[in-house]
Amino acid sequence: MDIRNMRSQIENIDTLPTIPSILRKLLAVIEKPRISINEIGSFIANDPVLTSRVLKVVNSPIYGFPGRISSLNQALILLGLNVVRGMLLGVSVFEAMQKTMVGLWEHSLGCAIASRIIAKKKGLKEPEEVSIAGLLHDIGKVVMGLKFPEEYALAIADAQNGHIFMIDAEKKQFNISHADAGGWISLKWNFPQNLVEPIEYHHKPHLAKVVPLQTAVVHFADVLTRAAGFGFSGDIFVPAVNPSVWQLLNLSDDDLKDIVAEFEDSLGQAEDFLLSDEQS
Amino acid sequence: MKRVSVELLKPGAKLAKPVVNDSGMILIGEGTVLKDSHIDRLQSMSISTVFVEGTAGPSKTREELLAELDDRFKKTEDEPYMQTLKRVFKEYIEGMSL
Repeated sequence: MDIRNMRSQIENIDTLPTIPSILRKLLAVIEKPRISINEIGSFIANDPVLTSRVLKVVNSPIYGFPGRISSLNQALILLGLNVVRGMLLGVSVFEAMQKTMVGLWEHSLGCAIASRIIAKKKGLKEPEEVSIAGLLHDIGKVVMGLKFPEEYALAIADAQNGHIFMIDAEKKQFNISHADAGGWISLKWNFPQNLVEPIEYHHKPHLAKVVPLQTAVVHFADVLTRAAGFGFSGDIFVPAVNPSVWQLLNLSDDDLKDIVAEFEDSLGQAEDFLLSDEQS
Repeated sequence: MKRVSVELLKPGAKLAKPVVNDSGMILIGEGTVLKDSHIDRLQSMSISTVFVEGTAGPSKTREELLAELDDRFKKTEDEPYMQTLKRVFKEYIEGMSL
């Protein structure tokens, strides 16, 4: 299949019968370029499942105010529209993530946590927005898994049996990677550039033009999450950190130690959060 | 931190997370060392589990954790900066209280 054909198939994912209904409803809302806090608030409030998931995520270790947000309005005000919009997408693809690849949700959560910690260390203004980019960085895997379930399962098996990186297995099977697919779909869904670039370039962070720093953070967060062995994203291997990212972030040895310690600590709490998710 | 059923709580356990009611109000603060009176109160409420300090279940040994770290890094450990990164994780595992 050629790349153009692939792109149009990916972009038309919302016509799939298998797409989660919660995501279908949500897409109608998030594809609107201008949406008010009230509109999005009432959209979430109308769906009790969505409401409880949003509250669970905002109270999780991703955001650093565990257990303190009890209402949707509070969440919207504290986190802002962009963050809530991205998070909605994250929680709506939760099942699809689990179905595509067991452990992908945990990997995404880990990457969101690492992104926030690194962004804070680097003094970025909106660490929560960067954490959403981390949460969604592998959205292309979900989209490919939904659109081409059989072929994607083959790529997953190939990565596992051949001990190769998932991204290389994808390229072998499809000629494109989840980063391409994620970039296309996030443009189609009118994501802001500070999400599009980290999603599209988290494996080639040197190509980011608009938000190179956020993209570098998500790339490094992905590396850290795999180094910590948290979750599963198709293979167990730590990808090499891009040297330009290492230089751009310019973290001292002590910075790195702080980040890893805070990250591992938060992952311990995240495990408890995931546990509590299973029980309810 | 581990999750423990309220029925199995023993005095002396230290809360790793605050106990909150449905509206988010803190009933017993994080870090509280539980006494019999706390446990009685918890058991009379509609709360089934709480988080206390300590590790959950049988965890991996340090050697297992380090071997898994080696496995994860084996494809890229010769790339620039990867030794530094690996060392930081290794030191973290070596410093963990298991």
